[in-house]
Amino acid sequence: MIDILFIGLSLGSILLLVSLGLAITYGSMGVINMAHGEMVMLGAYTTVLCGKWLGANLFVAIPIAFLVTAAIGFAIERVVVRRLYGRLLDTLLATWGIAILLQQAVRLEFGLSFFGIHVDGLGPGLQNVAVPTLLQGTVAVGAVALNSYRSFVILVTLVTTLATWIILNRSPVGMQVRAIIRNPHMAAACGIDVKRINSLTFAFGSGLAGIAGVMMSGFKSIFPDMGTPIAVDGFLVVVAGGLGSLSGTVMSAGMLGEINGLIATATNDTIARAVVFGVVILIILLKPKGLFSFKGR
Amino acid sequence: MLFKNHYEPLAYAIFIAAILAAPLVLDEFWLNRFSKYLVFGMLGSAVALSWGYAGILNLGQGLFFGAGAYMLAMSLKLASPTSLQQGSSTPVPDFMLWNAEPGAPTQLCCIVKGSALWLPFQSQWFGVAMGLAVPVVLATVLGSVVFAKRISGTFVSIITLALVLLVRLLIIDAQPLTNGFNGLTDLGSFHIGDFTFDPYGLESYYLIAGLLSLVLVGTRLLISTRAGLILQATRDDEVRARYLGFNVPHYKTFFFVISAAICGVAGMLYVLVSEFASPTFMDLSFSITMVVWAAVGGRASILGACIGAILINMIEAKISETKALVEVWKAIIGLIFVLVVLFLPRGLGGLAHDLCRGLWRRRVSGTSPVGKTGTISHPAA
Amino acid sequence: MAVTALLIDGIGVDFAGLKAVDNVSIAINEGELRVLLGANGAGKTTLMDLISGKTRSMRGRVFLYDTEITNWPEHAIARAGIGRKFQIPSVFRDLTVRRNLQVASCRNPSVFANLRLGFSAEARQRIDQMLAVIGLEDAAETTAAYLSHGQTQWLEMGLLMIQNAKLILLDEPTAGMTVAETRKTAELIRKMRGQHTILVVEHDMAFVREIAEKITVMHLGQVLAEGSIAAIEANPKVRAAYLGSKGIA
Repeated sequence: MIDILFIGLSLGSILLLVSLGLAITYGSMGVINMAHGEMVMLGAYTTVLCGKWLGANLFVAIPIAFLVTAAIGFAIERVVVRRLYGRLLDTLLATWGIAILLQQAVRLEFGLSFFGIHVDGLGPGLQNVAVPTLLQGTVAVGAVALNSYRSFVILVTLVTTLATWIILNRSPVGMQVRAIIRNPHMAAACGIDVKRINSLTFAFGSGLAGIAGVMMSGFKSIFPDMGTPIAVDGFLVVVAGGLGSLSGTVMSAGMLGEINGLIATATNDTIARAVVFGVVILIILLKPKGLFSFKGR
Repeated sequence: MLFKNHYEPLAYAIFIAAILAAPLVLDEFWLNRFSKYLVFGMLGSAVALSWGYAGILNLGQGLFFGAGAYMLAMSLKLASPTSLQQGSSTPVPDFMLWNAEPGAPTQLCCIVKGSALWLPFQSQWFGVAMGLAVPVVLATVLGSVVFAKRISGTFVSIITLALVLLVRLLIIDAQPLTNGFNGLTDLGSFHIGDFTFDPYGLESYYLIAGLLSLVLVGTRLLISTRAGLILQATRDDEVRARYLGFNVPHYKTFFFVISAAICGVAGMLYVLVSEFASPTFMDLSFSITMVVWAAVGGRASILGACIGAILINMIEAKISETKALVEVWKAIIGLIFVLVVLFLPRGLGGLAHDLCRGLWRRRVSGTSPVGKTGTISHPAA
Repeated sequence: MAVTALLIDGIGVDFAGLKAVDNVSIAINEGELRVLLGANGAGKTTLMDLISGKTRSMRGRVFLYDTEITNWPEHAIARAGIGRKFQIPSVFRDLTVRRNLQVASCRNPSVFANLRLGFSAEARQRIDQMLAVIGLEDAAETTAAYLSHGQTQWLEMGLLMIQNAKLILLDEPTAGMTVAETRKTAELIRKMRGQHTILVVEHDMAFVREIAEKITVMHLGQVLAEGSIAAIEANPKVRAAYLGSKGIA
């Protein structure tokens, strides 16, 4: 039973890594970023390229992926999202367009494949990343042997979540972000440079997705379209947890991860996913504000 | 005042005349392709109705399209030669034989668990009725619950999105009953009495073109009714509408259901000419693609959204003839989408409308000046 | 004896233990124009929320003529004959002024009853008259989003009038208006009078003097005093409640 719960926990932590970034961008900016899954995908490809070009392993890829996806996120915010504030549904659609562009950029090797140039590690096919030897096998915790890589993912999630929490709640920038979450107009009136903070928030959220991508690369094959279902899961977690609530996102990721893990063990992955969708639909219907939302918005 | 200007009915008339005359210039292969695009046009209009006029961005239109498609496809599967010569008094879909337990009776009633659900689909009219009824019932239930709870905006989008993916997974999982990932293929033809609709024939084309014309004119009239006007009012300000005494959820649900019904019909027509139904109809990307068509054509223009869908698919077909360009085309679509949302939020329909309006005003100059054209979305106040 | 249009009987609601409105009873006669006065937080807007169904009451009852409408859904209360203007003007921004009025003029609220094209000659005539009453004839084809603040307020009042509301609730109709706009609003309210029973929340005492016949003063969620403007100004309890600001003027 413990191993099943452990698998659920590791599924939940991947979900959480993906949703953290969304929780921040959706919560503070009200932006539904459909390209979030593509940030995860780019994070995963960064890991692949790090391995192929730099001979670097997954550990090195974590900071690099964070920087790469954060930079791309920053650019997206500056060029597209910024022009669409207040047009929620339009942002959703525009970022969907960006998502397709990013997928095709990877698939067509930035368009180079057109000229017969091939970039090793990109293209339409599947890519795989080797897990560092350090993380292969199992670790013994008391009497239970736990998969090392899954434990590592949980650890990274813990550290990232903690870091996010500290930045949000203990830093001056974080205070400004929280002010914007509560009331953007008031925040602007108080002299907060909302545009600058929004760019940073978006970049940070994208960077978190990049880290999630690195972690994902140890579990699964990597391909250009991998992001869409991941982003969908992320949205469900954030909405179920309650917009603008970091702890809500944590709880709901844990809960949906466990549900997924338990049902998958009892039946199969397809049914497990279906049940997760069903649970989220019910949550939205019964508690549209999310399970753990704060009052007064 | 039914129309905002006199160009609009003219545009409808020209479009309908064009699709009715299209067979004059299309060969059999293109006729079949074009009839699929007309079906997509119908989907575009359905999206425009729910998104542009009811303010409901449904990211799960594929659910209704898929429901319509599967219902008719079940009937046509039973009519297929592959389902007949199986040594049974009732037709049995071939994939059920492959999935059946050894020794199970080769009868539709009991070959696999739940296969009895297929029994009434031996009648094609039952399939047609269900193809309409299932989307309508689904939309009624979903709409009444969601709108009565005053769930709106992105939350509706996320619920519909989750729902279409949920149903897609259930269909895939119910492999023995639905043939899972592979969907329903090798379908028979639809027939009325002794007449058989050939997917490549002129009759199928005219059935689709006729129904599309009906949908276009019907929907356009519907949004011109008082109810349509009240619907647009609820889209602008739900609270105000409520305080004027309108039961807002009723209005939203009603038009949501109409949109779903159109998608259901479109699903059936698509099966008629494409001869398959598959879970890909319920992929997230297909539902969002429908929204892309409507956005490019004009979310607040029934005809514009329809033309948007047809145009995009025609261009795609042309470009896809060159193999190397298939993937590039997807990137272009992504780019077009970003640009349209940024710079042309009312799509081609909005552009055309502004142009015509300019012309019209010049002709009837002297009338009182009108304020700047309203846009659908306002920047946050 | 005059017919009572609105009867509020001991209504009350608590917000997190605070009695926002407590045991308020008010009777308003048909055709009357009643002004509701009180400091911020006195419970005026909450009282309007209770009447119009936005907030569910915990105690007491509300009658519109002989019909008890306590805690009905908002649209049903509106259909019963109560129209409400909000503090922040709310009209259908993407529709033209004329279409705004057309929407409000639909007599039957059901979807199926409204599945018909166009409006009767009588309805069109009423809409034209209403455009004249609210002074927006020249702006009839303007999209409501482009109206000025004052015009938007008048349009909203027009919606309530053409809806044929028996009782109209006006929440600070002159907030944010210029002097000229305020004057025009007072004129509009005088036109409404007689055909509709009106309950107005207002702060602007000059404006209140211009329109009021009978005033109810609220304080800390309760009715403090009721009477003519002269009686209210002379009332010692009211003076005490407003001590420090030398009375309410």
